[in-house]
Amino acid sequence: MSSGDNAHKRGETALKATHLVKRFKTGRSYIEVLKGVDFDAKHGDVTMVMGPSGSGKSTLVAALSGLLKPDEGKVSALEASDLWSLSNGKIDKFRLDHCGFIFQGFNLFPALSAKQQVMTALKYQGVGKGEQARRAQAALESVGLGARVNQRPSELSGGEKQRVAIARALAKNPNLIFADEPTSALDGENGQIVIRLLREAASVRGAAVICVTHDPRLEAYADRVIHIEDGRILDDVRRTPDADPAPFSH
Amino acid sequence: MSLALATLLYEWRRYMAAVVALAFSGLLVLAQVGIFVGIGKGFTAQIDRASADIMVLAPGAKALFSGPQGLPRRFIPLVYSHPEVTQVAPLDFSGGRFQNILTPEQQVKAQAAAKKGGKGGGPGGGTRKSEFVNLTVIDAIPGYVTVPTDYSPSMIEALRRPFAVAVDDTALKRLGVKKGDKALYNGKTVYVAVVTHGYPNIIQPMLVVSRDTLRMLGEADTGQRVGPLMVKISDPSRAEIVAAQLNKKGEGKFRAWTRQELADANASSMLDDQIIGIILGFSAFLGLLIGVIITWQTLRGAIMANIKEFASLRALGVSMGDLRNIVLELSFWVGIVGVLAAGLLTWVVSLVAAAGGVPMAFPPLLIVVVAIFLIVIAMLSGFLSLGVLKNSQPADLLR
Ligand SMILES: Nc1ncnc2c1ncn2[C@@H]1O[C@H](COP(=O)(O)OP(=O)(O)OP(=O)(O)O)[C@@H](O)[C@H]1O
Ligand SMILES: [Mg+2]
Repeated sequence: MSSGDNAHKRGETALKATHLVKRFKTGRSYIEVLKGVDFDAKHGDVTMVMGPSGSGKSTLVAALSGLLKPDEGKVSALEASDLWSLSNGKIDKFRLDHCGFIFQGFNLFPALSAKQQVMTALKYQGVGKGEQARRAQAALESVGLGARVNQRPSELSGGEKQRVAIARALAKNPNLIFADEPTSALDGENGQIVIRLLREAASVRGAAVICVTHDPRLEAYADRVIHIEDGRILDDVRRTPDADPAPFSH
Repeated sequence: MSLALATLLYEWRRYMAAVVALAFSGLLVLAQVGIFVGIGKGFTAQIDRASADIMVLAPGAKALFSGPQGLPRRFIPLVYSHPEVTQVAPLDFSGGRFQNILTPEQQVKAQAAAKKGGKGGGPGGGTRKSEFVNLTVIDAIPGYVTVPTDYSPSMIEALRRPFAVAVDDTALKRLGVKKGDKALYNGKTVYVAVVTHGYPNIIQPMLVVSRDTLRMLGEADTGQRVGPLMVKISDPSRAEIVAAQLNKKGEGKFRAWTRQELADANASSMLDDQIIGIILGFSAFLGLLIGVIITWQTLRGAIMANIKEFASLRALGVSMGDLRNIVLELSFWVGIVGVLAAGLLTWVVSLVAAAGGVPMAFPPLLIVVVAIFLIVIAMLSGFLSLGVLKNSQPADLLR
């Protein structure tokens, strides 16, 4: 089950990857997208992964989160000392228990209300019906959608949809939150709301947030910024998040 | 509400093709069976609606008009001797050639038309008709066991008169007669004393006469053997028990059926016919094939349309097995909606058919079987569409 509040673990390593290599077959040849990446992320940190398009950021996140098996290297995450040695079913279970995802697209079921989206995700964790409703309501309120719980995606703005997706990811209190370009489909104001929510999940609950982005304005919220280029880590800078980041402008 | 059901209701347009395909698959089978059973009912309607609680047939009979029918006359007192039996009357049938009698003016017209080589005959029914008809008998006594419950006392009264016959309104045109007309039956003069309503028979017109009239026509069973026995008992709710007691009493020399038992057997006996069986089997196969292909493709398309959402559930750790269950549940609901749609469509078609003089009848068992058949089609389609879930790669959402 999810371990909920990890505030006390802040600063401990949540995720560690060594020498990740991933190749894709294109035509007859292979291209190496990850060329021996070492990576780690700590509880309570917002770790930002930046780099040019095609540099392998999304591939890295997929390998770290148990979505795409790397060709070489090892990922240890929380109690799983070697994530990729587990069976597929165990990896699913690991994600179910510990991982939240926020994608560029919102991927909400058109037929479900905001609350039902969150409840559906909780249902598969084995949460009871009443508890599902309670936690879904709380999660949606925490992202500022308390008044929109019964709306379907077609009745929500892009920013609101992304907040529903965040509520869906956060409702299960994940220890690991992976976000791939969570703000790139949003305007400045909504982008800011989203990154603040992620920041909060890290600071308040002690989750390890790994956020891929192009957007330099998000840097202000990061504890750590990793630059990746052509499948290699260029630099890794630890910083103190700005206390009061300047508002985004477009 | 579950994800599957919510999706079906909200995105119903996407699933329309599947529902329509299922509805037509169901109709294909239901309508045909309905017509065949309806035809069969045309022969037994008058008996089905009599007030007999129990029918006694020869031991080998599979249904009315199927297998050996008649019994020795001495069984009548035997059945009567059961204390709860209040009335016993044998069924009697006959059949023969029925000809209308034209008035002199009609004859002139008909001859003129015949000379011209035209089709002849106006709306007045002024053509010579000659048809084979079935004859069934009632005892012209109000409330008697052989009398259909919807016959009015005046109808029974009219039939009591010698050589009076009853014709259903759906057969009037075919026989070229109207109420009050004289006609020839096997060369003897009869007259149309009663016009009934609701006894159509699209194969052969049915005539009803009193037992006395049948005797006067010289066609009644007067020998040692009689037709099946219609039995009325004092408490109709005890029909099953009394039937069982009669069977015990008969020691296998006859078989007593409750009215419902026999009605069900009559309905399905029509479907035992080989040709009808082949037609139905082929239709069911065709319905299955078309239903599965369309439903499968529809489900595939609908799942593909939501594949990213499914992938996001996969990312959150929902197992492939759980996604499969969602798809199968969806298929099940599509099947249920398909059953409802098939029912609606068949109902409309049966109304149209009834208005056109082709009555349909649907035994409950048939409806259950077809409903299961449609759900099987939907579930089969669901199993076939499970393959598309392979496309729910959560890694594809990371771009
Ligand atoms: N399934 C795949 N098959 C073949 N090549 C792939 C596949 N997935 C990614 N690649 C290639 O790997 C490289 C890195 O892809 P990745 O998605 O990790 O880049 P990215 O850093 O996330 O880029 P962006 O900022 O544009 O999202 C790209 O050149 C891409 O074409
Ligand atoms: Mg990317």
